[in-house]
Amino acid sequence: MSVTSQSLWSSGPEPALLASRDRSSGEIVFPPVPDASPLATRHELIPIAPDGVVYSYSVIHPNPKSGQQPYALGYVDLRGPVRIFGRIEGRPKIGARCRARPDASFGYVFELTAQGAQA
Amino acid sequence: MKDTYITGGAMTPFGRHAGVLAPELAQQAILRAMDDAGVQPRDIQAIYCANVLGGMILGQVIVRDLGFGGIPVYNVENACASGATGVHLARHAMLAEQYDTVLVFGIEQLTQLGGGTIPLQRNDHKTELYAKAGMVLPAVYAMRGTRFLHERDATPADLAAVAVKNRYHGTLNEYAQQRTEVTIEEVLGSRMIADPLTLLQCCPSQVDGAAAVVLSTRRPAGKAVKVLASIVQSGVREQADDDILDAEITARAARLAYEQAGLSPKDVDVVELHDAFTIAELLYYEALGLADHGDAVPLLRSGATRIGGRVPVNPSGGLLAKGHPLGATGVAQMVEIMWQLQGRAGQRQVEGAKVGLTQCTGGGIAGVDHAASSVHLLGV
Repeated sequence: MSVTSQSLWSSGPEPALLASRDRSSGEIVFPPVPDASPLATRHELIPIAPDGVVYSYSVIHPNPKSGQQPYALGYVDLRGPVRIFGRIEGRPKIGARCRARPDASFGYVFELTAQGAQA
Repeated sequence: MKDTYITGGAMTPFGRHAGVLAPELAQQAILRAMDDAGVQPRDIQAIYCANVLGGMILGQVIVRDLGFGGIPVYNVENACASGATGVHLARHAMLAEQYDTVLVFGIEQLTQLGGGTIPLQRNDHKTELYAKAGMVLPAVYAMRGTRFLHERDATPADLAAVAVKNRYHGTLNEYAQQRTEVTIEEVLGSRMIADPLTLLQCCPSQVDGAAAVVLSTRRPAGKAVKVLASIVQSGVREQADDDILDAEITARAARLAYEQAGLSPKDVDVVELHDAFTIAELLYYEALGLADHGDAVPLLRSGATRIGGRVPVNPSGGLLAKGHPLGATGVAQMVEIMWQLQGRAGQRQVEGAKVGLTQCTGGGIAGVDHAASSVHLLGV
């Protein structure tokens, strides 16, 4: 199974992250419910604005033997409302503003906006 | 409703058991537990084997040569809550009067996996997506730690103090894998794994072990350890505004356990909880009702949770020092509490303990606090 087998972004000049909204409860779930799911008909696909605020985060320090550099990840609260986990570029802080953008490896990453980077 | 008792228990030392296969490891715990309970194979009517990563029909592999005569063997998997789930299911069967005496054991051999972080179970879209971005259990707990330090009057040294306490307790336990006392400075100075969690704040990943208990509805002679409550709960899908510090699934399991036993947190004398990472112990103080909301750090700083304090937590050394062979953990927690309640815990004995609590959680998927959480209350 590949995560890229399922589109996470809307098409168009300003791509938006896609999520599913439960038609009866209104609850938003991310990533979208797969088309093959028997739950798909209970949901509708909606775009969600990519701007959010860091709820919490960590900087992961891979074993030095791996040669990998530390990287940040965290939970970001978007206006959906929906909380999404992902990589965060830069040095996050709780409450920092960030924005999701498409990424070939992970589907999306969050980058701190100018305001977030100063927070 | 019939009472159920833990009539005997045993565990192997937790550590690296190089070259030892599952039957030889688990049989050590099984035979000692049966000896402790004073039962023979003919007295056992069913067997529950808790394991996560050891492969299919492990229970039958382990007991094949022990002469149980073809009784049912149930293999139980609920991630790190597997052992506690095995006890929970065994008790159900006894309450339904299917059996009066059963054997429950847990086993895991993590050294065979080559070490490192246990990966998530990547068989749903959300977990696959999040795992690819780096979601593993240390990261999940680290995010709780970051938020905790942000919201609470707490410092990284408070997190480290959990490791100092539990690793001190581990020095008193011959079954613990890591038996070296450490200082706050050593904990904070160990290699950063997932900020704010350093290496000595994470349970060791290279560990093997097994633990076993005999459960019976027949009251044993002497200081009988009764199962006062047995609860297993599952994670509820996370919401956009979840408080990741509330350990909701464990708070829910604890509330149900206290209700079932007719007890309150104040009645608990000793606790073995799921300190896979230091932050977890602080969150569980509040989820289990040992501290009011916001009072986890003051409780730790007061010394109440050290051996000699009001309610010692993880006198065995906990997962941090004793080690965490996944399937064995929940059963080993009950063996420790049995020893504590019967005054058999040696140097780490909690004096006069009458009621003990065990708690373990099973993680490994995205989108829930934890997949499973189990709380048991035991009493003499």
